[in-house]
Parts: sequence; C-alpha cells; structure tokens
Amino acid sequence: MDGLIYSILGDPFVQMWQMPDFFIQVIWEGFVSGILYALIALGFVLIFKASGIFNFAQGIMVVFSGLTLVGLHALGVPAFVALLMTIVVMYGLAFGIERLVLRNLVNQPDIILFMATIGLTNILIGGGQWIFGSETKSMITTELLIPTGSSVWEPGGGLVIFQHIDIAAAVIAALLIVSLALFFSKTKVGRALRAVADDHQASLSVGISLNQIWVITWFAAGIVALVAGIMWGARSDVSFSLQIIALKALPVLVLGGFTSVPGAIVGGLIIGVGEKLFEIYWGPLLGSGVEGWFAYVIALVFLLFRPQGLFGEKIIERV
Amino acid sequence: MFYREAGQFKTSYAEYLQALPLREDKVGIAIWLLLAVFYVPFFGLPGLEYTFAMNAIMIPVLIFTITALGLNILVGYTGQISLGTGAFMGVGAYACYKLTTYFPDVNIILIILASGFVSAAVGALFGLPSLRIKGFYLVVATLAAQFFLEWCFIRVEWLYNYNPSGAIEVPQREVFGIVVTGAAASPATRYLVVLGILIFLTIIAGNLVRGRIGRSWMMIRDMDIAAELIGVRPLRAKLSAFAVSSYYCGVSGALMVFLWLGAAEVESFDVNHSFLYLFMVIFGGLGSITGSYMGAAFIWTFPILLKELGKRVFDIDSIIMENVSLVAIGMLIVFILIKEPHGLARLWQLGKQKLRIWPFAH
Amino acid sequence: MKDTKESFVTEDGRHIGSVIMEMRNITLRFGGVVAITNASFDIREGEIRAIIGPNGAGKSSMLNVINGFYHPQEGEIWFRGKKRPSLRPYEIAEQGIARTFQNIALFKGMTTVENVMTGRQLMLKKNFLWQLLRIGPALDEEVVHRRRCEEIIDFLEIQAIRNSPVGSLPYGLQKRVELARALAMEPKLLLLDEPMAGMNVEEKEDMSRFILDVNDQYGTTIALIEHDMSVVMDLADRVVVLDYGKMLADGTPDEVQKNQAVIDAYLGVEH
Ligand SMILES: Nc1ncnc2c1ncn2[C@@H]1O[C@H](COP(=O)(O)OP(=O)(O)O)[C@@H](O)[C@H]1O
Ligand SMILES: [Mg+2]
Repeated sequence: MDGLIYSILGDPFVQMWQMPDFFIQVIWEGFVSGILYALIALGFVLIFKASGIFNFAQGIMVVFSGLTLVGLHALGVPAFVALLMTIVVMYGLAFGIERLVLRNLVNQPDIILFMATIGLTNILIGGGQWIFGSETKSMITTELLIPTGSSVWEPGGGLVIFQHIDIAAAVIAALLIVSLALFFSKTKVGRALRAVADDHQASLSVGISLNQIWVITWFAAGIVALVAGIMWGARSDVSFSLQIIALKALPVLVLGGFTSVPGAIVGGLIIGVGEKLFEIYWGPLLGSGVEGWFAYVIALVFLLFRPQGLFGEKIIERV
Repeated sequence: MFYREAGQFKTSYAEYLQALPLREDKVGIAIWLLLAVFYVPFFGLPGLEYTFAMNAIMIPVLIFTITALGLNILVGYTGQISLGTGAFMGVGAYACYKLTTYFPDVNIILIILASGFVSAAVGALFGLPSLRIKGFYLVVATLAAQFFLEWCFIRVEWLYNYNPSGAIEVPQREVFGIVVTGAAASPATRYLVVLGILIFLTIIAGNLVRGRIGRSWMMIRDMDIAAELIGVRPLRAKLSAFAVSSYYCGVSGALMVFLWLGAAEVESFDVNHSFLYLFMVIFGGLGSITGSYMGAAFIWTFPILLKELGKRVFDIDSIIMENVSLVAIGMLIVFILIKEPHGLARLWQLGKQKLRIWPFAH
Repeated sequence: MKDTKESFVTEDGRHIGSVIMEMRNITLRFGGVVAITNASFDIREGEIRAIIGPNGAGKSSMLNVINGFYHPQEGEIWFRGKKRPSLRPYEIAEQGIARTFQNIALFKGMTTVENVMTGRQLMLKKNFLWQLLRIGPALDEEVVHRRRCEEIIDFLEIQAIRNSPVGSLPYGLQKRVELARALAMEPKLLLLDEPMAGMNVEEKEDMSRFILDVNDQYGTTIALIEHDMSVVMDLADRVVVLDYGKMLADGTPDEVQKNQAVIDAYLGVEH
C-alpha cells in the first residue's frame, strides 16, 4: 500500500526533480500540442459565440484544409498558390455551409444544428478522401518555408531539444491569436461580430446581415483550421486519423468555456501539458495510452465542480 | 384507402392506451412479423444471395435496431446526447465473453441478456454527471466514457482472457442441442435468436415509453426544471434512462460479437461506431420506436446497396463507393434535419395520415 | 378579514380555514441583487391570495421560494404548522404544492392529454417491473388516472385540443393546459404566476371563472400573481403588495387599494 502511494505521490516528482531537462522537454512537448488543441478550440469558440452552434465539424475542417493544401500541391500547384487556393476553398466551404445548411436551419433547436454539423463531418471526411485519396500524406513543410531544424539547450549539463517547427507553431499561433484580437476590436466587421455575439438584434443596426456574419465567422474558423492543419500536419502527417485527436478540442472547450477565447487558449495549454505529464510520469502505473482519455476525464471531473468552465459565466436557471 | 380510423370505436381507455390502437397498424405489423419469421430465415431477401442477405444485412440490421432503440431512449426520449454508444456495446460484449467463460453451461441467450445488466451499471455510472452537466457538455462526458472504456478494452487483458491477439473469440454454445454461437451456427438460427430478442426488447421499450417512466424521461427532455417542480426526481429519471439505454446497447453489443462477427477487438466499439448509431437514431426519428427500426435498416443497408450498385452497374472501386456513401449519408442527415427533424418515422406517419383521410384532401 | 387563527366563512359563503403556509422574514439574494427583502405573509386554507407589484418586484421569486426552486438566505417557511426544512422542488411537489409559470413551461414534445397526465406522475405507484410489463395493475392504474385527466380536460373545456401537440397551440390555450396539468396534481396549494398575462378580455374572463371554480369545487388554496387590478379585486380574498422586493402592504383588496404607499408606488404608476 505504501509502495503504491509512493509511486503515485512521490516517485513521479522525484523523477521530475532528478531529471529537470527531461521534465522541461515534456512540458515543452505538451505546450506545443496544447497550442494546437487551443487552435482547434478557438475556431470552435468563434462559431459558437457568433451563432450558438456547437460545430462538431471544426476538427474535420482542420484535416480537410490540410488535405486540400497538400492535395493541390501534389497536383503541381506551387506551395503558396496552393495556400491561397485553399483559403479560397475554405471561403467556399463557409459560403456553402451557410447557404445550404445554416440558412435552412435557423430557429431550430441547438441539438438539431449540432447534429447537422455531425452530418457535415461525414460529408467532409467522405469528400476529402474521395477527392484526395485516403492514404496518409505529409505536409509541404519546407515548401511553405517553415523551418525544420532543431536547437539544443543544455541547462546545467542536461539536454533539451526544440524542434524549429514547434517554435514556429507557437509563434504562428500567437500571431494568429493577436491578429484575430485586432480584427475583433479594430475593424468594423469584427466589432459587428462581437455585437452579434451579445445580441442578435444588434447586428441589424450595424448594417450587416446575419447571413453574412455567419459566412464570415465560418470563414474565420476555416482559416484557424487551416493554420492548425498546417502546423499539425508538419509535426505528424495529414490523415483523417487526426480526427480523433481533433476531438480533444472538446475537453479543452469544457475547461475554457464555450464562449471564451482566452479560455480556449488556457484550456488548450492545460490539457496539452497535463496529459503529457500524466502520460510520462503516471502512465506507466496504468499501462501506456492514458493520453487517449486523460483530457476527457479531467474535463469531466472539472465539470462536476464548475459546470460553466474556467472562464464561462455562471449558468443561472430561471422559470 | 383502407386506412381508416372512423368506425373503430374504442370502448375503454385500456383499448385506447394500446400500442397500436388502429386495426390497420395491427395487421401491418402482423404481416411484417410473418415475413420475418417464416420467409426470411428460409429464403433470405428477394434478389440477394442467401448468406449475404442474412450475414451482411438482416442479422446486423436487427442487432443495430436494438442499439438504436437503446440510444433513442437516451437521446430521443430523454434528450441526453451520447457519443459513448460504441463503448457501452463493448461493455456488453466483454461482459458476455467473461460470463460465458465462467459459466460455460448456462444458456447463452440468458448470458447475453444478463450481460446487458453490466453495461447498464456502467452506463448509469457514466450517466451520473448528467445531473450537473447539460447539453453539449454532456457530450464531452460521454466521450470520456467512450475513450476510457476503449482503453480498458485494450489494457485490461483479463477482459479478453489474456489472448495475445487482444481479441475475443466466440466459443461454440448450444441451446437445447442447437448450435447458436460459433462458426457452426447457421445464419437462420442466429437470425431467429436475434429476432426473438429484438421483439422482446421492442415490446418492453414500447411499454416503458408509454407509461410513467417514459413520461418522466420526456419531461426531463422537454423541460427539466418544470419536470422537477412537478415531482420528477431528475437523478432517478436520468439514471434510469442511462441504465435502460445502456442495457439495450450492451445486449446488442453482445449479440453483435456472439451472433454476428464471431470475434471482435476494440475497433468494433470505437467512436466512429458511436456516430453511426447516432445517425441511425437521427435519421429514423428521435423519440420513435418505429424510427429506430427505420434508421437502423436505412443507415446500415444504404452504403451496402450503394457499394453493390457501384460495383455491378458502374464498375466503381469499392473504396470510392465507401466515400461516396459517407458523403451521401452526411447529406441525407442534413437534408432530413432540414426537411423533417423528426426523421423517417414522422414522414411515415404523415404518409399514413394522408392515406387515412384519402380521398379527401384535408 | 379577521385576524384569528380559526376558520370562518366569508360574506359570499366561502369557507376559509386556518393558516397553511406562512412566510416569515424571507430575504432572497442573487449575488448583489436583492430580489426579496424581509417579506412576511401567510396563506390561509381555501383562500385566494394575490401577490401584486410592478415588474421585477420579486413576485415570481416568491413563488419560486414557496416551491423550493430558490432557497432564501434568511427567513423561515412554515407549512401546515411545521417549519419546513430546505427541500428539493420535487419533495415540495410531493407535499401538494403545484404551480404554473409566467413563461409557459409545458412539455413541448407531448400532446395536451400527455401534458396533463404528467401531473399524475406522483400518484402512479407501480414499480419498474410492472411498468415494463404494462399489464394488470400497471395498466389499471394508468387507465384510472387517464380518466381523471380527461375529467380535468373537460372541466377546463379543452377537449378539442386533447390530442394536439402543445407547442402549436395558441398562447391562451397553452396557459389553460398548464393549469390543467397543475390541477391534475390535485394540489393543496396552487401557485399561479400571471395566469392571464397576454390574454384578451374574453380569455381572462374564462380563466377567472376557472380559478374561482377550482377554488370552489375542490377547495384548493390558490396564490396568484396578477397585474390586472380589476381581476385581482374580483378574485382575491387578500392581497400582498411587493415593490423592489419589499412588502408594501397586506390586506383585503379594498384595504390595499386605499393604502397610500401602494397608490404612490404602484397603482399611481399603473392608473
Ligand atoms: N435566477 C435569478 N438570478 C438572478 N437574478 C434573478 C433571478 N431570478 C430573479 N432575479 C431578479 O430578482 C428580481 C425579481 O424578479 P422576479 O421575481 O422575476 O420579479 P417579478 O416576477 O415580480 O416581475 C429581478 O431583479 C430579477 O432580475
Ligand atoms: Mg414574474
């Protein structure tokens, strides 16, 4: 019994203390995957804030955009032209979704819209594999001028490796978040979007129709998905198995609250770092693979104590 | 034109409260039942090769109808979205495997029905958070169940009797001298066992949803606060829904492995399957027993028929057809949500109503 | 109105009993907002008690306190001679308190008769096993209660919409179905939150008649919130006036109408 308690509450921390360089490495790895979770969650929050739709397809949009980019390049399109074309495709997607799906489902209960986005997920998976094939592809990292080397840091004789891709991912994610923040606070359209998030009537007074707002938010979420797709693809590969990982945006959202952008970021980092630490230091006690469920179980436990998430407003029920 | 309500006077409330108050509905069901019992086991489906019809269509459709019934109780009747169906089916399957390992002589049908209780218990456990968590947050809770259980199916080697392949392999079991499970079991036997269990579970589900318990589920679904102020205990209502729903899923999981697949690994219970079952329920009709039948039949057979069509008529590669059917199903889901959010069952009902007042237009 | 604890008979011959519910110094806060401040009043058996006051005065909150949806920070609630502990809403429903809602809270996925039937939930006693068999006692029980529901439906004159899904009904009828559902609970104390809001004159008259009939025929004690003063004057035996969560007055409709504070704060604004 004592041995068990020690191996849960003692040994992992001793290990962290004794091998600080490894500990830093683990934190860094967790941090980077946390950023990617945060990016997916961010796209989700954008849509939820503007339209109250729980967009289950956000994770698939990540894969779909990555696949489109790689697929276009494979057809001989130069990398940056392919990037532009993918952006156009994401716009077309947003436009099509608004026209064919959302517009026809206004005023339906949330659960119906949610289920429609699950249907959308199917369409994107099937469509993506149909057009681009279902085999795993690698991201056109060097073509997009993303650095691929690595740097070594030796704190006190230890060894920590930083992949340049990871650094780039962190930097690009930060840039994206800053530019979104600027977009929302400085531009007219952005402010309108914020207004509509608070009050649907408000949008009319700003002179932008609800339909346009939906296209814009879904497009913005598509761009965020594309960035996440590129960075993720660069770290591993582009394939629809990413979809399972993309689902992890959901516990991130639970942690951060569905409507909070800072929540998505903090939640992503907590989940990313937390699950790596858990996998490495406590995972061996249970047999590996705990990464698969850790995020969900943490989110679940967390929900029991704070059903509205970290940054969400307290849910008040009235009659 | 024969579908008329007029002239059938109900003499008592008891008659009025029957599952099928209309004579035409009773006749319709009777015909389906006769076909299912006396035609299909011997001749399969018209135009299809017999073993294909049984193994690829009839048996899985019946099994997934049980799943859909279970999921519909949770999603359609109680309004609690779940993406953990696959895993709850897994619990039933592994429970059945363990039980028949320990009690090899007990009637396998009883074991299958008993393994549902294990899954009911696990389902109720994971349903506990639903008391505090609502709506989309609950989706995350059920995903926790899905992924945690999937992990257990891999890591807890005891569950598959330490089989190095990690799979459960169905042993041969006989009931009254007839081989029911294992490679030697005939499709007709397996089909009839599944059909029997399905009919039994359908009657029970129908009884439950029309009575006090089903009403408490629907009250929670439609307006949980009002339900509580009227005297429904949310914990009891939600947990009973989770338990009953998971019971159905568990039984269908056990049937899936024991009477259909013959062997299974964790992939048979993954989250993609959970989506598939949710589609069946949405497409067939949320909160409808008939809808569960229609949804399971449609969502399961549609891709198969599409694939056959592609192969035979257009000579298209089956992988492409798989993707085509993914897209088609996705589009159909979106389409039905737009046109009739209550699914095929509602369309069917509306059709019947039209028929009932025919030839008068309104 | 007499101040004694004993029961008595009113001028129009209605039987008013002793106090069945007493609110003592109730204070209810939501974070910084004080919805009710130190309010005290009682409800007598068999009477029709009105709670009036401008919007946001804390009337609905008061009903929510009575049926346990909100729990006041201070004060005591006495029900049938006993101090009531903090209970869950369903426990209070079990004690015989039913209500309707300001914003209709019907079960949208069900028909009228099914909605009314939900009011009988607590009286259906057969266990799970009987429920899944649905034969014998379980079915008998269902039939008996179903019949009662049909009676209530007849009483409120909503036979025509018996099998209609409630979501598609006009507002006035939805309010009536909600009343039917509450009546199906056969409550000791019936709480009505603005039962006539948004109705035309005719519908109001119907509803007033139903309320009086319920009180008369079943002896049900009723506490209701209503804005229309003429309706209140007609129906209520006694009236509590709230304003910004504070009690302004408590007495017969005549007394209240003459009360200067009430005239200033509420009636002055309305009329
Ligand atoms: N659940 C709640 N959370 C926060 N404030 C509330 C809640 N319920 C009521 N209030 C506040 O309490 C006050 C009284 O509300 P209410 O009882 O609904 O008034 P009335 O029914 O008299 O119009 C209002 O200021 C309202 O905003
Ligand atoms: Mg009110």
